[in-house]
Amino acid sequence: MKGIGTIIRKEFARVFKDPKMCFSLFLLPALIVVGMFALMGYMVDNLSNDVETHVSSVYIQNAPEGLDDYINAGFNEIADITYLSDTDETESVKQGILDGSIDLLVTFPVDFLEEIRAYQKAGDAIPSIVLNYNTTGNYSAVAKSNFESMVLAGLQNSLLAERFGNLDLLTVYQVENNVIVNEDKANGEMMAQLLPYFITFMLFAGAMSLGVDAITGEKERGTMAKLLLTPLKRSQIVCGKLIALSVLSGISALVYAIAMVVSMPVMGKAFGGADLPFSFRVSIVQVLELVAIMLVMVYLYVALVALVSVLARTSKEAQTYVSPLYIAVVAGGMITMFQGGMEKPLYQFFIPVYGNSIAIQNLMTNELTAAQFGASICGTAVLAIIITALIARAFNSEKVMFNA
Amino acid sequence: MIEIRNLTKIYKLSKKQMNQMKTKKNMKRAASNISLTAKEGEIYGLLGPNGAGKTTTLRCVATLLKPTDGSIEVCGYDTVKEPEKVRSCIGFLTNEIKLDPHFSPRYMFDFYSELHGIDVKTMKERREKLFTYFGITEFQDKKIEELSTGMKQKAAIAVCLAHDPKVVIFDEPTSGLDIVTARHVTDYLKILKEEGKIVIISTHIMSEAEKLCDRIGVIINGQKVIEGTLSDILRETKSADLEDAFFKLYKENNKEEQ
Repeated sequence: MKGIGTIIRKEFARVFKDPKMCFSLFLLPALIVVGMFALMGYMVDNLSNDVETHVSSVYIQNAPEGLDDYINAGFNEIADITYLSDTDETESVKQGILDGSIDLLVTFPVDFLEEIRAYQKAGDAIPSIVLNYNTTGNYSAVAKSNFESMVLAGLQNSLLAERFGNLDLLTVYQVENNVIVNEDKANGEMMAQLLPYFITFMLFAGAMSLGVDAITGEKERGTMAKLLLTPLKRSQIVCGKLIALSVLSGISALVYAIAMVVSMPVMGKAFGGADLPFSFRVSIVQVLELVAIMLVMVYLYVALVALVSVLARTSKEAQTYVSPLYIAVVAGGMITMFQGGMEKPLYQFFIPVYGNSIAIQNLMTNELTAAQFGASICGTAVLAIIITALIARAFNSEKVMFNA
Repeated sequence: MIEIRNLTKIYKLSKKQMNQMKTKKNMKRAASNISLTAKEGEIYGLLGPNGAGKTTTLRCVATLLKPTDGSIEVCGYDTVKEPEKVRSCIGFLTNEIKLDPHFSPRYMFDFYSELHGIDVKTMKERREKLFTYFGITEFQDKKIEELSTGMKQKAAIAVCLAHDPKVVIFDEPTSGLDIVTARHVTDYLKILKEEGKIVIISTHIMSEAEKLCDRIGVIINGQKVIEGTLSDILRETKSADLEDAFFKLYKENNKEEQ
């Protein structure tokens, strides 16, 4: 046992005494997360500000009498309006919409009001207003929707009132929305989708950079053989390495997590509001369950990376083998992002990585049962233990360790 | 005592290795039926050209490799059945086995002492003694990657002796060293011998073997072709010095191969 402790301390010293290692493992990821979210927030913010302050260029052909009343009620402040008569050509305006210099062209029929007033019975002609706009431009779509809500809606109401006198005649019922929701579940939903993915991503990233250096790197540098010459059992060396790597990867993931929490206000902005989705309540039990799941996950990831690193001859080879593994594991975590909230059978929780992800998802929405929790822990732990045994076997193989 | 009985080591070759060695055989017999004994208070020299099987033999003694056939006993422990006990009583130095470049000689010394279960007091005494002898004290806190080849070798020797092993195995201990440092190392091997340790070295420097070794075994093509004191070997081969003797043996045994 003492030997395991000595190896763990040395692995820690390797990382903590090397400023470059500390930077790349703990500081850089945090900076990247904060920087990325800050940039996203800034850009989304910028975009919406830009759309808000943009003055739309709107062309109206054959504007009916009385339209001005609705335009002057506010739309004229956000749009620069040009009126066209029936004889004006519109092709150049349409070209302007296509290239983005003009946002909207509204064409009314020449005798728009007459047609409406001439309406008598079903089957009579109903006039059409043509809205020409470009769906690829933000400005154009916004101008179109503003015109509909600020001008056309008012115009329609006034014409309807003219025809029927009382608008209530047209309303047969109203819809009242009364939302009944489990607050915890609603708040956890967004988190439940994102968290498994982020946890997997963060834990594996740490394990990957450390594991390859601590095992293949040592083999390459010729320092592993020195360790194998000590009276320790191979299994003790494997344990020491795996524990140290798990703790370090855990710390790295924690730094990521803290960086994410810190940068969440800016990220909230990026998704259109800071109130939801990240204000959610957790109980002590939830936290403990989450920690337990993360522990077995980090153990599995470290073991996977270690196995690959033992079998690889060079660090480069190890990196090549680890990358597809990384994608597979992250995919396992991501599947949960695209699945509905359907009930999953218990056996699925035994599947390593995937089972942990759905367990974390259920944990966030307060639906995790004890059996599901146990299954997700067991499935992953069993696989990790099997891999550990394989690593210990590989450590005993002279072919693997000395290329003999 | 080290007792090697009929040691045979066969490597399976991968296709790539077969291509590199330009052979169609998928097996390589690195050591063939080697038997030898090294006793306390003597320096035993393994002589042979590159690829003769010296390092393989020494690695088998150090438990890094398992014999394909035959057995090895070190201080009464079998290298396959009780490898941990064997490792606790040997110090093994070879060029391919290195100290972690990110750490200082002092950290490495303490680390390996701890893994060998040495208490702190003894560790400090041993460190003081060995670091002073090899002149490591002045660079003991520098990172190993910043040291020169000679400094690295000195540090490696000191760390290798941290647990005061009964058996010291040095694979080409003076290769890459300047003449002063090399002399320092060979002098220390004599001290170890006087302390009653079993010392085995492998070398292809004939003068070193002549001066240093009490007994010499020559390995060619994986087989031990002769063993004895320097005078035994010179007499048997009717040679004036070890270099002549070695070439005679080399020619004879390579002829047999052909």
